[in-house]
Amino acid sequence: MKVTIDPDRCVGQGMCVLYAPKVFQLGDEDGRAELLVAQIPPEQEDAVIQAERACPEQAITIIREKGSIVP
Amino acid sequence: MTEAVGTKANPIAFDHESPQHAENWVPEFAEMRSKCPVAWTDKHEGYWVATGYEAVVEAAREPRLFSSHKNFSPETASGHGGITIPFTPIPRGLPVESDPPEWGVMRGFINRRFVPKAVETFREDARMFATALLNRVIESGEMDLVNDFTGPVPAMVTMQLMGLPLSEWRQFADPLHAMVFTPKEADNYAEVVAGVQWVFQRCAEEYMRYCTLPEEDNLLSYFAHNEARGGNKLTLDEVLSFSNNIIIGGVDTTTALTTHGLTYLHDHPEEKKRLMDNPELLPFAREEFLRFYTPIHGLARNVTEETELCGAKLNKGDRIYLAWSSANRDPGVFEDPDTINFDRESNRHVAFGSGIHRCIGSTFARMMFEEMVAQVFARIPDFTIDYAKAHRYPSIGTINGWESMPIRFAPGPKVPCALEL
Repeated sequence: MKVTIDPDRCVGQGMCVLYAPKVFQLGDEDGRAELLVAQIPPEQEDAVIQAERACPEQAITIIREKGSIVP
Repeated sequence: MTEAVGTKANPIAFDHESPQHAENWVPEFAEMRSKCPVAWTDKHEGYWVATGYEAVVEAAREPRLFSSHKNFSPETASGHGGITIPFTPIPRGLPVESDPPEWGVMRGFINRRFVPKAVETFREDARMFATALLNRVIESGEMDLVNDFTGPVPAMVTMQLMGLPLSEWRQFADPLHAMVFTPKEADNYAEVVAGVQWVFQRCAEEYMRYCTLPEEDNLLSYFAHNEARGGNKLTLDEVLSFSNNIIIGGVDTTTALTTHGLTYLHDHPEEKKRLMDNPELLPFAREEFLRFYTPIHGLARNVTEETELCGAKLNKGDRIYLAWSSANRDPGVFEDPDTINFDRESNRHVAFGSGIHRCIGSTFARMMFEEMVAQVFARIPDFTIDYAKAHRYPSIGTINGWESMPIRFAPGPKVPCALEL
C-alpha cells in the first residue's frame, strides 16, 4: 500500500496524525501533512485507512497494490 | 405551486443568535438538515444557513465563491463582509477575514508559529499555568471552573505567545470572556467593551515597545522586526488585526471545549475512569468533544457570484452562515451522531472549520485541552459541578460555551511551581 497527499486539498487538519502517527506528521513550515514512509508497512494499513476516511479535506488517496491484504 | 421551504420566497424562521436556538439547536438543525440543508432566513438582513455536512464543507473549500474578506471604515463605523452575522463594526481579523492571494501572504507570515513543533514549546508553560491556577484554589476545595481555570489557561498561553505581560492575566482574561456573553442591553456592557479595547490598546503599546528592542521570541516582537511582504512590515492596523484574530480565536474557544468535556466526564464517571486508566484515549475523547460540543458554532461567508449550493440558488452579495456544529451532527457522515463515543472510527469532524481558513490555533487548542484535563485528573478528579449555579451562554451563535460553573473538590496541597499567582 502507498498513499499520496494532495497538497492543494490538505490544510493541516491533523486527523491523519491522530490515527496514523507512524505514517503522517504535520510539517514545520506550513503545518500541512507529510509522509514519514514511502511504503506503508502492513501493520499500519488499518491505521492509514482510518486516516484516509477521517480527513475532512479528502486529501489522502490510498493506492492499493497487488497482493495487499487490505481489500 | 408553493415555493420550497427555505427559499427567499419562503424563508424559514431561524436566528442562530436567539435564546430559542441556544435551547433547541440540536433538533432545530436536525430538521433543517433533512428538509433544507441550505435555507434562507430573513433575520439579520437576510442570510443563508448551511446545515448539511456536504453544503458546509463545499462552501468552506471554495473561497473564490465564498469570500471571508471584510471591509470596515473606522470613520463611519460601517462596512460589509467578514465572517460574523450580524456584521460587527470593528476592524477585520487577520488572516481569517482575508481571501487569496492576500490570505496566502498573511497566513504564510505566521503559520510557522502555529505548527506542532512550535506549539510543543508552549506545553511546559501551559502545564505551569494550569498548576499555578489550581494552586490558587486547591486548599479551599472550590472554584469557578470557567473563570478560575479553563478561561485563564488559554488566556495566559495566548499572552505568552503574543508577548504580553503575564501579570495582567486577570484584566486580560475577564473582559474577553465577558464579551462573548454580555448582551448589548446589560448595565455593564460599556465596561466590558472598554475592557476589550484595553486589551488591544495593550497590544499596540507592547508592539511599539518591541519596535525599540532587539527581536524576542513572541509574535508582537516578530511583527515589529519582520517583513510580511515585498519588503514591508505590517502596518499598526494590520498588527491589531492579527492580534484580534489570535486573541479572540484563542481565548474563549478552548475554554468552551474543555469545560464541556469536563461536564461530560463529571456526568459519566465510568467514562472518566476509563480515560484516567487509559490516557492514550484522551486525544480521541478530545476529538469527539470537538465534534459533539463544537466550540465555534458557525461562521459566515459572502457569496461573490451567482452559484448553486446543494440545490439552493445563491446570488452575488448574499451572506451565508456555515454551521460547523450542525455538520458535525450529520447522520449521513457520523453514525449515531448525538452520542459521544470515544471509540468512533474515522472522526472527520469540522470543528476547526474546513478549507484554507482551518483554525490556525487548532494545535494549541488540542495541547491546552490535554494539559488542563491532565491537571484535573491528577489533582481534583472527584470534582462536583453545582449545575444549579452554572450558566450557559444565553446565545451560542458564535461560541457555544459556559459563562460560569462553580465546582467543589476535596481540598489538597499546593504543589511546587515556578509561577505563583
